[in-house]
Amino acid sequence: MISDVLAGLSVALSVDGLLYCFLGVFLGTFVGVLPGIGIMATLAMLMPITYHLSPNFALIMLAGIYYGASYGGSTAAILMNLPGTATSAVTGLDGYPMAMQGRAGQALFMTAIASFVGSMFGVVLLVCFSVPLSRIALQFGPQEYVALMLLGLIAASVIGSGRTIRSLASVSLGLALGLIGLDLNSGTARFTFGQAQLFDGLPLVALAIGLFGLPGIISNAGRTTLPKVEQTNFRLRNMMPTREDWRRSSMPMLRGSSVGGFFGALPGTGGLVATFVSYAIERKVSRRPEEFGKGAIEGVAAPEAANNSAVQAAFIPTLSLGIPGDPVMAIMLGVMMVHGILPGPTLIQSSPDLFWGLIVSFVIGNLMLLVLNLPLVGLWVRLLSIPYNLLSPVIVALTCIGIYSVNYQVSDIAILVAFGFLGLGMRALDFEAAPLLLGFVLGPMVEEYFRRALTISNGDLGTFTERPISAVIMVIVALLLVWAVVSSVLQMRRGRVRHAS
Amino acid sequence: MRYVTERLNDIIAGLVTLAVGLFIVLQGRSYSVGELRNMGPGYFPVAIGCAMVLLSVVMIATAKPADDQMGTSWHQVRGMVFVTAGFAAFALTIEPFGMLAAVALAVFLSALASRATSIVTALVLAVATAAACVLLFRVGLGLQIQAF
Repeated sequence: MISDVLAGLSVALSVDGLLYCFLGVFLGTFVGVLPGIGIMATLAMLMPITYHLSPNFALIMLAGIYYGASYGGSTAAILMNLPGTATSAVTGLDGYPMAMQGRAGQALFMTAIASFVGSMFGVVLLVCFSVPLSRIALQFGPQEYVALMLLGLIAASVIGSGRTIRSLASVSLGLALGLIGLDLNSGTARFTFGQAQLFDGLPLVALAIGLFGLPGIISNAGRTTLPKVEQTNFRLRNMMPTREDWRRSSMPMLRGSSVGGFFGALPGTGGLVATFVSYAIERKVSRRPEEFGKGAIEGVAAPEAANNSAVQAAFIPTLSLGIPGDPVMAIMLGVMMVHGILPGPTLIQSSPDLFWGLIVSFVIGNLMLLVLNLPLVGLWVRLLSIPYNLLSPVIVALTCIGIYSVNYQVSDIAILVAFGFLGLGMRALDFEAAPLLLGFVLGPMVEEYFRRALTISNGDLGTFTERPISAVIMVIVALLLVWAVVSSVLQMRRGRVRHAS
Repeated sequence: MRYVTERLNDIIAGLVTLAVGLFIVLQGRSYSVGELRNMGPGYFPVAIGCAMVLLSVVMIATAKPADDQMGTSWHQVRGMVFVTAGFAAFALTIEPFGMLAAVALAVFLSALASRATSIVTALVLAVATAAACVLLFRVGLGLQIQAF
């Protein structure tokens, strides 16, 4: 154990380790700050860069991009009320009013501190739970894996989404898209329509950027005006929160971290649910609930801590079970597989340098972010004043080069544009794209384990309820599905009543 | 009729899901399906397709009036056309003409997506970005893409 941690330290503290960690958090913050570009889009657009690195450094950098982007996303939300993601929208609820009152500096300062506290809390959870969980998981059979993956897929669609049936349809489409290519058991080419490029399956990068990056670029490209940023003086001295601010924020930060750690570790939930729940909790327990939405600093501190704690805790199921809890983790898992690393319970034992290197890099990366976001926040604020009409063509060019440099295939760009339009269409019809990506990455694994489980049991579906762990999970899955149908029937009823009155 | 027009968003979503689900089932059946104890390559796709058909039925049956009307504004259509043209131009020119031309064309076309950008600005931006990209990616990082 000690030698494993030391191996991790030597990876993360090597010159390359520090460099790629810094590059990750820097680029993540950079793109995350740009208004209207969310974490998924950031990650998808910067993913091609990491393809040329060794797996250890690729994951360190990718993870840095992820938590860097979640730091940066709140800057645009606070200063311009233009959140890149739904999670930073919660921060904007009270952050933007604070900026309007001339307290943008304090809001940004507290955001950075809360993010740091939340992240460190999440890292501690990750260290405490991953190793024991992976020991338990060594006894899992294919039944448990099928059950856990189904739970992840269905929880991701049902929890935290207003349109559960649509999200379940997205998951299904994702599962089907994941099957494109040669079937490994029989050698049959499925859904390839004679295109040899599709035999290896759809390229993850093109699919992810198309679905998450392109709709934003396209719908913002024609935009002419953006809200102006108040050019306040962002010197560290002026940003210092008052003693009162600190007193009001400390407990919300701790509560937010716990809420985030809990939801982040559950499969299928993650940052979004965590931020909403922690905001709701703070409003409930506050002695001044009327101040929420008008610039209460608790409303900035708690959801930021929750979001970042969830970001780190989401690595628990990914690294110890090989099951991604949210779409971002699905991308991480996809990149691991591209590099030939098989995620699963043996990962921590077989590549301790990767696991511990990643964890040490989380601590270092978050320290770097503290520096990037406190003394250097003025830099990001200036970035926000670049006119969007000059920025978006450059983003288009960088996306093209990024995609093309992965495989040097022109067809990847066609796939990118096709998925861009799929993403736009799904937006227009209120389908969420995140469940689709989760399904896409898990699709081949679900099929493989499902086949294996039923071959062992000789075609008896009862095998999933005979083993205690998989039985419990299957019951939860069934309850979630029932809830999905019931809630959409209830919504219809409510809609009809409101419509009649 | 009003029942349908008010619920158009949900009903279209359901019909699209139905169509995609049916397509997956039909296509999946063309591979060997097999049985539970020995699944063929078609088994899982057919199962997924059936799930989508079921979901589409629920979607249409529980359709409710949409809160906001669907609608795209003109600047979005303009953005869509020019950004797509930018990507297409890159795809068509990268192999025959190299990175300099491909990046310049992609930037120029997608810059025209916004009415706030004049032709001259777009040209300058295109040339500058192309030069910077060649320097960064070809000279700096050594990507295997021809400059011209």
